[in-house]
Amino acid sequence: MSLCEITHHDLPPNSGHRMKRPIIASLSSWLMAIALGLVTFCASAQADLVYVLNSTDPSIVKIDSRTGEEVRRIEGLREVHHLVLSPDGKELLIADSVGNEILFVEPATGNVLRRERISNPYHLDFTPDGRLLVVASLRRGQVDIYDANGLRLLERLRAGNKPSHIAFSPDSRIAYVTIQGDGTVMAIDLQERRILWQAPVGPEPAGILWHRGRLIVGIMGRDHFAVLNPETRQVESTIRVGRGAHTIFPSPDGKTLWATSRVQSRIAEIEPDTLQVRRFHEVPGGPDCLAFGPDGAVWATLRWAGRIARLDPASGEVSTIRVGRSPHGIFVQPRAAQ
Amino acid sequence: MFKTLDDWHTRLTGWIFETFLQPALYATDLMNIADEMLEWVDFALFSIFGIIVTYIVCRPLEAWRPVEPVTDRRAIRTDIIYTLLARLGIFPLLAFILLSAIQSRLEGMLADTGFVTPTLESLLPFLQEAPLLTFFIYVVILDFGEYWRHRLQHTIGWWWALHSIHHAQRQMTFWTDDRNHILDETIAALWFGTIALLIGVSPAQFPLLLLLMRLVEAFSHGNIRLSFGRIGERLLVSPRYHRLHHGVLSVAEHGKNYAVLFPVWDWLFKTADFNRNTYPRTGDPAAPELIATGGWLTQQWIGFKRMIGIGEKA
Repeated sequence: MSLCEITHHDLPPNSGHRMKRPIIASLSSWLMAIALGLVTFCASAQADLVYVLNSTDPSIVKIDSRTGEEVRRIEGLREVHHLVLSPDGKELLIADSVGNEILFVEPATGNVLRRERISNPYHLDFTPDGRLLVVASLRRGQVDIYDANGLRLLERLRAGNKPSHIAFSPDSRIAYVTIQGDGTVMAIDLQERRILWQAPVGPEPAGILWHRGRLIVGIMGRDHFAVLNPETRQVESTIRVGRGAHTIFPSPDGKTLWATSRVQSRIAEIEPDTLQVRRFHEVPGGPDCLAFGPDGAVWATLRWAGRIARLDPASGEVSTIRVGRSPHGIFVQPRAAQ
Repeated sequence: MFKTLDDWHTRLTGWIFETFLQPALYATDLMNIADEMLEWVDFALFSIFGIIVTYIVCRPLEAWRPVEPVTDRRAIRTDIIYTLLARLGIFPLLAFILLSAIQSRLEGMLADTGFVTPTLESLLPFLQEAPLLTFFIYVVILDFGEYWRHRLQHTIGWWWALHSIHHAQRQMTFWTDDRNHILDETIAALWFGTIALLIGVSPAQFPLLLLLMRLVEAFSHGNIRLSFGRIGERLLVSPRYHRLHHGVLSVAEHGKNYAVLFPVWDWLFKTADFNRNTYPRTGDPAAPELIATGGWLTQQWIGFKRMIGIGEKA
């Protein structure tokens, strides 16, 4: 029997209620606090599963975050890059670009529920209202708009040279896509299903994030993120993070923006109000996509090292786990509360 | 052990990429082909491993039981250049950057039509539980494809004009396997890749499959006096069996022993010659001298000229 199980069984009923009282310096209260802390730790430690897409293995691996052990591997794929959780949280959609399909995986178990034929899906995301799924095909130069209910293709737009990552306006009306080969961001009206405009941002733009009325775009061919005003279509400022600026993600609590640079191999903590870099974490191996654990840990795929990294933001400690070749997309189950 | 080797391979690939290639890509605004370049480093390292394995297996045997003495080291050096270019050089690089994009578009168009590429495992579900058997069947099917490609190389005029570079070598060694015109290599890669795609070879198995097939092919070109015996000669292509194919009386449409791995195809299609005591001289007597003795570039140019002047077919 594990320590976690003992602690759980030893808990008295209504312990949650008792924790709400002011804690006085009695032995029983301290013991209760410790017990609850252990339960919380164990619950998250037992439940945390890290999904990693090894793009050139190609495979999907499921890692137990507590032990670092691989608990499952799905093979027989062609080239997996990105993944997204369905709006109802019941399915992980994993895009196999060269395999021309999306795998629907149950996040809690890793079981493949079904596969759908989709033309060369690279990056994909649901609109904030959950009604549309937008899929970028890097190699086929297209952006597809699907009805999220039933995956019916509504529109295929020719989108220039290497459409890469996708972001949305909060009202779900406009999709913004980085066009890597053209050095631009493309705006697509999702209601009229047409291209609105294209604005230059810098060489090889990659990750993109809607942030308080602006678009923050990773300029992979430079050392910064560009802050683009979608109204004026002008780059208003830049955030220097290191060579090969790549992707950017908000922390679940909204208190930090986390950005990666693949060439300089670092992860930057950015203050969301001022867009100033708070701190750099040197993470060798080409950090790419990020995901957040319920315990606050930041997980990163290390493209050139065949590993994932777990970064503890409090201590700055980094540990790595071997996963496979060229790991790209990453997801932690359960997802940290937004 | 395999996991440890694989990890070393990944680390070395990443180190080479991060230390040498990525800074160059960044400096030249080519970061958008970073993925393809990483794959190329991965492939090149695997190829180096393949060359080392081939050398370790073949070189001692060539020294121990040579068919003929080495009299033309320059010709062997040219073949080494062929090998390095074919396995590490510009062709694999272009293949990764260009062909992967073309392949992706073609597959996407297939997906648009609703056609789902079958795999052996989807046609024969019991194979899902038998990966070794599946691997063997893939090898057999691909080898069958290689047999027919090889026969067509000998019977179609312009194709033979390219392939005769391979046959012109009079100082045959295990390095000769990669002595091919670059257009011939391109066609071969497309042929092999298309069949692999159609039968659904897993990308994870592909490098191992290539390694195995190339090892046997290089071995069969070796300057080694070795026959596999009455039964063995009918199971696997030996140096003797393939040397007969390179013999001076076996050029163009007069060819025998086309098989690459399994002689059964020659047996079935009446192109086998199991005369086990023969180790003929190799070369193409009708080919221009420079195709046999010139440098890489000269051979490529002459091969190209002969291809477009179909009337000059030897």
